[in-house]
Amino acid sequence: MMRWLLAAYRDPRTYTGLAYMLAVLPLGIAGFTVTVTGLAAGAGLMVTLAGVPILVGTLLFARTFARLNRRLAWTLLDAPVSQITPIRDEGSGYFWGRLRSLIGARDTTGEVCFSLLSLPLAIVAFVVAVTILWSAVAGFALPVVTALGGATELGTWRIDTPAESLIFLPISVLFLAVGPRLLLGWGGLIGRVVASLVGRVNFTELKSGVVSILARRGEADGFTILGDLRLRFGRSPSLTPLEVKAALLVLESNRVVIPTRREASTSYRLA
Amino acid sequence: MDEFAELAGRESEARRIARRQWFWLHFAVFATIQVFLVVVWALSSADYPWFIFPLFGWGTVAAAHAVFAFVVKTPEQIMIEREASGQ
Repeated sequence: MMRWLLAAYRDPRTYTGLAYMLAVLPLGIAGFTVTVTGLAAGAGLMVTLAGVPILVGTLLFARTFARLNRRLAWTLLDAPVSQITPIRDEGSGYFWGRLRSLIGARDTTGEVCFSLLSLPLAIVAFVVAVTILWSAVAGFALPVVTALGGATELGTWRIDTPAESLIFLPISVLFLAVGPRLLLGWGGLIGRVVASLVGRVNFTELKSGVVSILARRGEADGFTILGDLRLRFGRSPSLTPLEVKAALLVLESNRVVIPTRREASTSYRLA
Repeated sequence: MDEFAELAGRESEARRIARRQWFWLHFAVFATIQVFLVVVWALSSADYPWFIFPLFGWGTVAAAHAVFAFVVKTPEQIMIEREASGQ
């Protein structure tokens, strides 16, 4: 048990996760503020048409913000988020087409929602991380602080001597043991939340990925396609047998792929 | 049905069970808090029934969650179920 708890000290994700949770608060404030201001100003000025560029700018900001968060969660939290530039703008090289694609894409709605949710998420992540950190440090710091003439209060009790401040020491010792494991678990949970909000591969991209894999391989079964998709997109909560099978069924019903059913497996090839 | 489709079916079933478990957890928290609020109301002035506001507000959300957990199916789940039943 103790070895399991202390192993978190050697896991680099403990420290990178802590860095993420501390950095995410200013980011969340910025993301929320810019998005809310942009949406309100854009919608309010829509009658004068000046709202259009403001709204488009806000959507582009939300997209960049989500991409930054995706990258941070992948790098610092080791979260299972897809790491590929979305292909939704392909085939529409002119301005209005790209604009229509930006406004109409389902991902854009998700990215705006994420920008709005980023502030409460960041506050929770930051507060829990700082509380764990402070609980581990306070018991050791307070005797020094009181020896230097400082004081703190616990309800009506004023703690101003090193002897009194030793009451926090057992709590800090406990948190020194369990704190890193708590941080690691908390980082994992935050990473999963971020991955479920902005780390998914959308269904159109998934179908496109399946088609390109079949074009390259000629014929492949579901497991091979899933493996190739994971190589292409990275880890993502949407790269599961259920989602891939659904994409294959849609492509099959649209007569894009043809299944060849055998006893225990089904192979697919392009029609 | 091939192995991959069976795996997809099992995943679909696991998601369905997880959604229902999350709902029951939500309902347990909802019921506990509402009982607590009613007790607070009864032990305090017990005149104006202010507890009905969180009861109906949160109750609406809990009802929507129940619909999501027990009635709504994702398109992926519908497709997998159709394939399993041979339609």
